[in-house]
Amino acid sequence: MIVDALDRALTTATELASGSFEVGEPYSAQQDLVERRLARGERIVGVKLGLTSRAKMQQMGVDEVIWGRLTDAMRVPDGGVLDLAPRIHPKVEPEVAFLVRDGEIAAIAPAIEVIDSRWLDFKFTLAEVIADNTSAAGFVVGAWQPVPDGVDNLGVLLEVDGRVVEIGSTAAILGDPRRAFADAKRLAGGLEDEWIVLAGAATAAVAVGPGQTVRVEVEKLGTAALKVSA
Amino acid sequence: MTDAAAELLEAYASGKPVPPLRDRIIRAGDVDAAYRAQSAQVETWLAAGRRPVGAKIGLTAPAVQRAFGVYQPDFGVLFADMAVPDGAEIDPDTLIQPRVEAEVAFVLGRDLPEEQVTVADVLRATDFLLPAIEVVDSRIAGWDISIVDTVADNASSGRYVLGTTPRRVSDVDLRLCGAVLESAGEPVSVGAGAACLGNPLHAVAWLATTLAGNGSPLRAGDVVLSGALGPMVPVTPGASYEARISGLGSVRANFAKGAKQ
Repeated sequence: MIVDALDRALTTATELASGSFEVGEPYSAQQDLVERRLARGERIVGVKLGLTSRAKMQQMGVDEVIWGRLTDAMRVPDGGVLDLAPRIHPKVEPEVAFLVRDGEIAAIAPAIEVIDSRWLDFKFTLAEVIADNTSAAGFVVGAWQPVPDGVDNLGVLLEVDGRVVEIGSTAAILGDPRRAFADAKRLAGGLEDEWIVLAGAATAAVAVGPGQTVRVEVEKLGTAALKVSA
Repeated sequence: MTDAAAELLEAYASGKPVPPLRDRIIRAGDVDAAYRAQSAQVETWLAAGRRPVGAKIGLTAPAVQRAFGVYQPDFGVLFADMAVPDGAEIDPDTLIQPRVEAEVAFVLGRDLPEEQVTVADVLRATDFLLPAIEVVDSRIAGWDISIVDTVADNASSGRYVLGTTPRRVSDVDLRLCGAVLESAGEPVSVGAGAACLGNPLHAVAWLATTLAGNGSPLRAGDVVLSGALGPMVPVTPGASYEARISGLGSVRANFAKGAKQ
């Protein structure tokens, strides 16, 4: 069944072909998949949003964001190493992260999300990507800070090895990333204290390779970085 | 007057675009010939009494460069009659195939040096910045342009809308400032300052150096549209576009429905 196959793909860093399994109810499949991780000792630390740009929604033929679960094992410390071995074809996206307290936004930080679809060549149906925990594979959160006035149009740069490869703005995230927070709260049925909400990508995703250094810089918020293992 | 200049002037007059000039009238890659065709039109416009107020820089954003396969900036001349007040209606029928871009406008408070202008010179000479929407247009059919087509065509200029609240250059992070064009409450183009040759200041220094080399350096009072901060967006008649640039505020271009549509 699909949950076994996705879990095997995840743990062995191998791909599945789109269309090879019945997905059923995709969020139930996702929950079952994540529970396998929890059974191995991982812990939920937050949620992530996907399809937060109009372009991506149109590409998938939907008008609603999708969401997935973050675990502690996915976290890479700021400036730390992203291990390539357990990953298939990782890509990075510049994002902003929110810290949850009392169900509200307590702080904001620049962030990097690492996505790594278990579906061959990142080709999947909407149900398949939801079941695959929306391609979640890793994340880096920079320094938390108070939310500045207006986070709806902060410039965002994605750099690889010191060169800017993608340029965008937090406006690409649903027009204002705080809307992503509200969506996360609604879709996940509430958010727990100290959870992290990854709001969605501010630019297109970029594939990364061995030894590369990735840095995200967000206007007014600073940087988050990772080093890809050799 | 060159054949290219004559064809382009006729395109303005008739509202009908012409086929690409490259390899038909101007040899592909002969940028000097293309600037000569631009100058011939500018001479005609000056003789007709149009008032030049500055310059625009084109082909500065990676997204725009990729779209046209042109990997160098260019410039055109801005005239006072191309300026549209913030929020005023623009009649799309007076343009051929308009597109909009969010940009930073520099207004100079003093003359720039007559050679090799640096970012420091630009910072010293800038009186204030304004958010701007450039309404670009092409007299070349289907926007099928190469570098010589757009250079000859006054860098595909059309109209421009300047915001009205000046900001000091020291108060804006020109590299990191977010930029978004919104229409009907949706972002239709996003970017940041770095999309303009790494920083709009680099673009202005390039322009100032280039114009100084041509013997017509930028002067106090000149307005410079420094280049797009994100992908250009084709105009929908009847639509309203608001550009917001972080630290600079916002500016709006409204398009009438137009009789042609």
